[in-house]
Amino acid sequence: MNILLIEDDIHTASFIQKGLAESGYIVDHAADGEDGLHLATTGQYDVLIVDRMLPKRDGLSVIQALRTRGITTPALILSALGEVDNRVEGLRAGGDDYLVKPYAFSELLARLQALGRRTQPLQEQTTLRLLDLEMDLMKRQVKRAGTVINLQPREFTLLEYLMRHTGQVVTRTMLLEKVWDYHFDPQTNVIDVHISRLRGKIDRDFDPPLLHTIRGAGYMLYDPTAA
Amino acid sequence: MASIYWVAAGQIREQTDVRLELQSDLLINIAKTSGSLQALRNAIQTRNEEHDERAEPHFYVYALTTNTKLPFTKKLEAEYMSADARRIFGTVMFSDVLDIIDADIVVKRDAYARVIITRLQGGAQLLVAADMSEQNNLLLKLYNSMWLAVALMFLLAVLGGWLMGYGVLRRIDSIRQTAGEIINGDLSQRMVVTRRNDEFDRLSLVLNSMLQRIENLMKATREVTDNLAHDLRNPLNRLRNRLDTSRFQQLDTEHFQQLRQDALQDVDDLIKTFNALLSIAQAESGVHRDDWTAIQLDQLISDLGELYEAVAEEEGIKFSYKAQPGLVLQANKHLIAQVITNLLDNAVKYTPKEGAIQLNAEQQADQIVITVSDTGPGIPAEERDRVFKRFVRLDNARSTPGNGLGLSLVKAVADLHGAQVELADNQPGLKVILRFTI
Repeated sequence: MNILLIEDDIHTASFIQKGLAESGYIVDHAADGEDGLHLATTGQYDVLIVDRMLPKRDGLSVIQALRTRGITTPALILSALGEVDNRVEGLRAGGDDYLVKPYAFSELLARLQALGRRTQPLQEQTTLRLLDLEMDLMKRQVKRAGTVINLQPREFTLLEYLMRHTGQVVTRTMLLEKVWDYHFDPQTNVIDVHISRLRGKIDRDFDPPLLHTIRGAGYMLYDPTAA
Repeated sequence: MASIYWVAAGQIREQTDVRLELQSDLLINIAKTSGSLQALRNAIQTRNEEHDERAEPHFYVYALTTNTKLPFTKKLEAEYMSADARRIFGTVMFSDVLDIIDADIVVKRDAYARVIITRLQGGAQLLVAADMSEQNNLLLKLYNSMWLAVALMFLLAVLGGWLMGYGVLRRIDSIRQTAGEIINGDLSQRMVVTRRNDEFDRLSLVLNSMLQRIENLMKATREVTDNLAHDLRNPLNRLRNRLDTSRFQQLDTEHFQQLRQDALQDVDDLIKTFNALLSIAQAESGVHRDDWTAIQLDQLISDLGELYEAVAEEEGIKFSYKAQPGLVLQANKHLIAQVITNLLDNAVKYTPKEGAIQLNAEQQADQIVITVSDTGPGIPAEERDRVFKRFVRLDNARSTPGNGLGLSLVKAVADLHGAQVELADNQPGLKVILRFTI
């Protein structure tokens, strides 16, 4: 996956670049808004990481300029301004996700994966499938090994999100944002509890387990039997 | 002032003219009834002499002439000359009048006289002159006293203006001085407020309440900074020590991973504290005022209820939530959600197994009341004000995780929405009541 990082802080940039390179990404770096816009327009990228405050041209205006030129490369906005309205502003300008500094690197990685997946043409799928776990989006029905599993509406949304990101790490914050639409961290482990309930329904009586905890990062739905 | 004078002067002259006309008409009547000028002449003489017996000067002087070559009008240069005017009025010196009257009459020669000259048939002219000295004296007095009044008024105006200006300047100067002292760093200074309750006092009161607010904010900021320094120094120090000592240890993989995990946990806690402080600061500064929406409260309560139901169940706590259907609250949705989350977090944290938590929203009169109650240890009445302060954690809470900012945010958000927060005894446990006025 090719990534363009538009970030003016050299330390942050080199840290991200190094971390992403270790995870197998190819990263180009632009240190200001004008360079970033130029690279994003001429190069081929799967995801853009755009810092909000940039010299010469701010991050939102870079994304806006790209969108008006018809370039739809998913963009992840990095910002030190963590307010809900700032987030809304960023998404309205054409950003696809919004991450507030300071963030865990695993969080950034997880979100990049989620965005990178999005570039693949999104067919109107009616069923999602992982091994013997099936989700029928039309009937809103879930089956594991042919057995119908009863999920509450929120559990269904949670599982749908996990299934759409099969093989990707999904963080607790991402789940809270995308499934519950809350943009703050509760003190208690609410997400863990809901995951463990979901696990009880889809994994307990079946083999192999599909919903895995990734220590220090979040959760991942994958088939452990696949090579 | 001048107009009063002119009106008075005109009025006096008019009255004199009316009387002169009356006198003239009287004499002419005598001439008409008797049919000869001689009778008129006699009457004039009697009238002129009548006054001689008195020592006073004549008020009226009468004269008749038949001399067409030397008419009164020419000699006296009376006003309103016109060829066919039957009557002519004029203002002349009495001496001029006496020069043409062949009579020995006591009058003030140097006084002004108002004369009326009437042309009679046969070329004769009748003159009646009135002494104007009294009236002129009166006018002079009026004139003088008017000037005096004008001068006095002018003097008073100047004096009053100066006094007022001096007072105003003095008070502005006192405000300037106080402001100067405040600029120099003494925030405790206040504007002087007198008992006059005038504009300056009101201005000073407004300035003082503004200064009070600024001082409170400064104090709060300093408090936050101090608390922040204090609260962040500990975990930062712990983190530093942890990493520092590891330099001298030969760590196997397992220990190294543990160290890394602990360090990450420390950093995460720091970030959480930062975020909580940021939210509080933003709620307090009112940046969220613009994005208030109509929140469907029953929807929000059931979403949050569902989110926490699982958590409570995991902890072996009975949890129930209920919202009166159709409740709509005008507020910032994210902040309200965060407030309820904070309260539920607390409730879950402090409620023992087999305990119970309730989340309720209902309308009471003109208030929307959101209640979170638990059966935990509760908060003693004397501590209830203190727990809203930042970083305050009660002694029995120190062992549980938390940063002491949850209730501070609740309070800040409530204040932002003009709502009241009450902490009550749930017997046993804590009951947090949020009252929003609709």
